[in-house]
Amino acid sequence: MALNILVVDDSAVMRMIIIKTLKLTDLPLGDIWEAENGEKGLRLLQEKWIDLALIDIHMPVMDGEEMIRHIRENDQYENLPVIVVSSESDPGKIEMMHKQGATFIHKPFKPETLKEVIIAITGVSNEVKD
Amino acid sequence: MKSKIEKVLEEAAVNTFEDICFMYQVPELKDIQKNLTLEAAAEVKYRGDYTGSLLIETRGGLFSAIAANILSIDSPSSTQKRDALGEIANIICGNVVTSLGRSKLGYKIESPRSLKKDELLKEKRQSKPLAEITMNFNEGRADIKFFVDDDFVVKEKKG
Repeated sequence: MALNILVVDDSAVMRMIIIKTLKLTDLPLGDIWEAENGEKGLRLLQEKWIDLALIDIHMPVMDGEEMIRHIRENDQYENLPVIVVSSESDPGKIEMMHKQGATFIHKPFKPETLKEVIIAITGVSNEVKD
Repeated sequence: MKSKIEKVLEEAAVNTFEDICFMYQVPELKDIQKNLTLEAAAEVKYRGDYTGSLLIETRGGLFSAIAANILSIDSPSSTQKRDALGEIANIICGNVVTSLGRSKLGYKIESPRSLKKDELLKEKRQSKPLAEITMNFNEGRADIKFFVDDDFVVKEKKG
C-alpha cells in the first residue's frame, strides 16, 4: 500500500524538509499534499484520500492543536493517523497531543525515526514498495 | 568548562545541521575560517518564564549551502536562503529553551527574522550571550548565540 500523505506547516522550507525526509525513508509513498495552515489542511482532507497527516503546532489561521481537534470530531477521518512534527518543548502540550491520539516527533529528526513512527502507526511496510 | 546550556546548544546545533542539512563539522578549519566575512544572520525570539533570542550568523558561503542542502537545489533564491536559515534557527531555539527549565505557560517561539548585515553590525547587544558556539564546515562557518534576559543568570545563581 502506498501512503497518501498530508504535510501541514506554515514554513515552505519545513514542508520541503519533511517531504525530502519522507522520501529518504524508502517507504511506499503515494501522493503528497501540502497545506500552510490547519484550515487548508482540513479542506484537503475533505477533498482527497489521505492515509497520514504530518502537522506542525504553531501556524497562523488555524494551528495544529485546533486542526487535530477537528480531525477527531469528524466521522469521515476521525481515525486518521497523525504525527505532530515540532520543535515544541512544553511537556504539557506534548501530553495534550498524545491524548488527541497524535504521535509526536521532535525536530530535528532522522529519516529512520520518521520511518519507525510511520510503520508503527500505519502498519505500512517498505517490503512491498513497488 | 562548558555550561549546561552551552552543551545543549551545541548538541541541538550539531543534530540540526546533521539531520536537516546533512552537513558535518570539520573542526580543523577553525583557524582558516577565523576571519571570514559575515554574510547573513537570522534571529528567533522566545517568550515564556524567560525571554530572549537565538542568533545565527553565517560566513564563507554557508548561507547558500544550507538552503542548497536542505532543498536539494543548486542555486537557491534569496528567499529560500533566508527561510532555510530561519528554520534552522527556529529548530535550534526550540530545543535550547527546554534547558531553561519548565515554563508554566510554555515557551512561545516567534517566527524567525532575517537581519541585514548593517542592521546586525549596528545592533550592539547590551547583554553577553548565555551560550555561544562556532561551527566550521567545508561550506563555511556558523556562529550561534543564545541570549536570555539578565534575571535568568541572577535566578540561576540564587537557585
